[in-house]
Amino acid sequence: MNTVVLISIRRLALIPTLLLACAVSPVQAERLRGEEAASRLASRATFGMSYQQILAIHETGERRWMREQYELPPSSHDAVVDQLYALLDSGQFDEQVRNNPNVEQVFRRLAWWHRSMTAEDQLRQRVAFALSEIFVVSDHVPALMRFPYALSNYYDTLLEHAFGNYRDLLRAATLHPAMGVYLSHLGNAKSDPEANTFPDENYAREVMQLFSIGLFELNPDGTEILGDEGQPVPTYDNEDIREFARIFTGLSFAGSNFQIRLGTVNFREPMEMFDAFHEQGEKHLLRDEVVPAGQTGMEDLEQAIDNLFNHPNVGPFFGRRLIQRLVTSNPSPAYVARVTAAFNDNGAGVRGDMRAVLEAVLLDREARVLPREKSHRGKLREPLLRVIAVLRQLRVSSPDGFYANTGYVVQEQTQQHPLSAPSVFNFFLPDHSPVGPIAEAGLVAPEFQITNSGSIVTLSNMLERILLAGLANDLPRPPFSAAQLDFSDYRELARKPARLLDRLDLVMTYGTLRPETRRHIRATIGQIQDPGLRVRVALYMMYFSPDYAVEL
Amino acid sequence: MPSRRKFLTHSCALGVAGATLSSSLLQLGLARTVAARDDDYRALVCVLLAGGNDSFNMLVPLDDDQYQAYRGYRSDLALPQDDLLPLQGVAGNGRQYGLHPGMTALQSLFNDGDAALLCNVGTLLEPWQGAGGRLPLGLYSHADQIQQWQTSVADQRMAQGWGGRIADILQGPDPVNGISMNVSLSGSNVFQSGQTVAEYSISPAGDGAPGLNGYDDGTAAGDFRKAMVDGLLAVEQQHILRSEYRRRLQSAVDAQQFFTAALSSAPPLATAFSAGYFSQSLRQIARVISARRAIGASRQTFFVLVGGWDHHDEVLANQAAMLPQISAGLAEFRDAMVELGLNDNVTTFTTSDFGRTLTSNGRGSDHGWGGHHIVMGGAVRGRTFYGDFPELDPSNPLDTGRGRYAPTTSVDEYFAELALWFGVSPSELETVLPNVGKFYSPGSSSAPLGFLL
Repeated sequence: MNTVVLISIRRLALIPTLLLACAVSPVQAERLRGEEAASRLASRATFGMSYQQILAIHETGERRWMREQYELPPSSHDAVVDQLYALLDSGQFDEQVRNNPNVEQVFRRLAWWHRSMTAEDQLRQRVAFALSEIFVVSDHVPALMRFPYALSNYYDTLLEHAFGNYRDLLRAATLHPAMGVYLSHLGNAKSDPEANTFPDENYAREVMQLFSIGLFELNPDGTEILGDEGQPVPTYDNEDIREFARIFTGLSFAGSNFQIRLGTVNFREPMEMFDAFHEQGEKHLLRDEVVPAGQTGMEDLEQAIDNLFNHPNVGPFFGRRLIQRLVTSNPSPAYVARVTAAFNDNGAGVRGDMRAVLEAVLLDREARVLPREKSHRGKLREPLLRVIAVLRQLRVSSPDGFYANTGYVVQEQTQQHPLSAPSVFNFFLPDHSPVGPIAEAGLVAPEFQITNSGSIVTLSNMLERILLAGLANDLPRPPFSAAQLDFSDYRELARKPARLLDRLDLVMTYGTLRPETRRHIRATIGQIQDPGLRVRVALYMMYFSPDYAVEL
Repeated sequence: MPSRRKFLTHSCALGVAGATLSSSLLQLGLARTVAARDDDYRALVCVLLAGGNDSFNMLVPLDDDQYQAYRGYRSDLALPQDDLLPLQGVAGNGRQYGLHPGMTALQSLFNDGDAALLCNVGTLLEPWQGAGGRLPLGLYSHADQIQQWQTSVADQRMAQGWGGRIADILQGPDPVNGISMNVSLSGSNVFQSGQTVAEYSISPAGDGAPGLNGYDDGTAAGDFRKAMVDGLLAVEQQHILRSEYRRRLQSAVDAQQFFTAALSSAPPLATAFSAGYFSQSLRQIARVISARRAIGASRQTFFVLVGGWDHHDEVLANQAAMLPQISAGLAEFRDAMVELGLNDNVTTFTTSDFGRTLTSNGRGSDHGWGGHHIVMGGAVRGRTFYGDFPELDPSNPLDTGRGRYAPTTSVDEYFAELALWFGVSPSELETVLPNVGKFYSPGSSSAPLGFLL
């Protein structure tokens, strides 16, 4: 039996119990409880919670907190873009901002930061971000940068369906004009034998490979089904892609008459089907399903969405991706299987219920087990999420009530910004396995793909910029102002280093801070007299440390 | 100059020593001995035009009949014949070709003999023999094709690139002075990832490798920060991900100090570079090359990705803005290599996801297959066209539809030429390029394509 190493010295008393539990049955591992459990849920299911907010989650209880979150209305990003246009139209931006010809391009970014930082519906906002890294669209395509509603409305679509049903989510993403532009099925016309043109295959490929079923047939636990010669079994071939490409024809901006001109750009409504441009005739879907000739374009499309939605791969494929974005890079097959079961049936016979899936992901026993260093559970925090957590855990606020941040500085320093991935493959691949011990152990660690010799330093400098230099936003220009951090949770403990460290360990690492790290931070801040600086340095060291960078 | 084979034998011995003795010090000493023989230094600079450059508008037929065929294909995307920049000499088919009007610098490079053009190169599993043959996985798909252009393995999705496999052989997991021989200006990438090798990432700005603010900056505060950070990094981490994070942070901090010191020790470059991402990236590469002795490098690959070439619309306007930057940047880089006396030691080459359809979609062009590429350097037999520029004709069997031309030269042949020049031995060529045997016999006495001396 492996020696169980507990991380928090405050938990040493539990070791005999845990050893005993492991000896009897490793499955019945001790659960993390109390405020630390609430802190860990906050770390996974929100953009960051202050000490007081963590206590509130603890008092409410984890499952009940999630269910209360479901009931909060979505904080719309479109609505913020509306407000920003109103400010622009009434001349309230300062001259330099107002006269920037590209000022509108920052609106959806300002909306994202303001909402993510201040919205009460944190679970919904956090899940939408996870979904934005699965159903990827990106402003690296100029049209999506140029029209702010393209991405704010797309994000609102993810928010709307975050607690709904996966089928509606898949359908809404498919029909969103931002997706249509990004994967070029907007304006995709039926084949034209005379011109020797064929339907665009882009969306047909990516919707299968990345958004629904993946490349290979899966067991419910996410392992690959193997063929007679031990090889994985492809879920589709090029012929299937050609058939699905015929389905995704005839879509364009709503109200556009299919032709795309500047005046017809409409990112605030789903794409419209123009049957005159939709490929006619019988079509073949996966698993021998046939689309009969003579249906309307939307009938074809609904049938194709159902065909994908009902594929047995969706539960394990989508479930594993959500687990990776929210909880751990390397879930056990049993964990994936439990999420698949929740996807397949929410207990009331409904397939694809996102609430059931999210509870299965976040409240699974493997997700709640005591964190152990001698395990491969956990994940590297995404660089962007580390920056955001600092701001939220220190209750960032602004005198004018608007958190004004374009995110350009963060993006430069972290190589990440929402809806700005370099490709449809997101910022990192789900199966990225860094060379060295991680690959040798057969593990994956996707976030390491953007953690290189340059970015690992610039991220640390970004944390320094916020915590030590006090630069908490990048657009402190009228009508906006410089954002402020609130250190009061920690300030009161500045003269009591042991309690300060307890508090930091609870809020940031929920009891997984190594004793040696703790000792070094304590010794370092012991040399600082000024209480304010002492707190800032302690915070910087926590956020900088490998102990925090990887959440267990 | 030591032979290619001799160098490789030496390198392999180093690899073994590193593996058995785990002595980076020993490696360091030996590698520096090698590096000191400066004439043996070689570098490959990989330029990835991400998104799929419409290269049938970069290199265009000049002969009237073929220009008319080009015009017939391209309709609203055709460049005016009079605007094309003529290139000296004729291609293997006896025809003449011209460059995009924005590429005057490349025209000079070509005509001066410092650059060559490779025609209709692409991913292949076997020489194209018409419909029914085996096709690359995910043909016409960005994700697959941009990956295969880096792996040179067209029937798999693979995380290791051919530059990474070279470094697995030449360098192994413990790079000299902590600076990988694979240096990237564009972060993690497939081309430079091996089984045991990762890239060293730098940026075009400043001294390339960012340092921790205030760390060890010579002031008392800098000493304090150093103690603060070093103490955190000194904590042994048990968890496998925390341990890897700590290792990366530690090596980034260590390597950065060494790297910036090395870079600042090299005399400043006199060659001027334009502003803009590509030129500034090449400037930084030139600086790293100028500091090669201090870094302890005898072989280096560089990777720079220039994005934004997926021109489903606005292809004419976008190329008119973007191709001149590529052209000018290459010329500036050539000048810098001449200044360093290393023009013969550094070879620059372009890659891209694919070529594009010759036919228009009314807005731009769509994903294609074969495309044309640039190779540049003193070792390049310039002023020459390699491969076969296909006869433009919709009835040409190479046209697989909409003017998507099947490649007549495989990426394996292209990369084999570069790899052999770089120092990969013929016996290791199939380790680096697993599929090369379909196109070239590694034991052959003739070069794969012959564009390098």
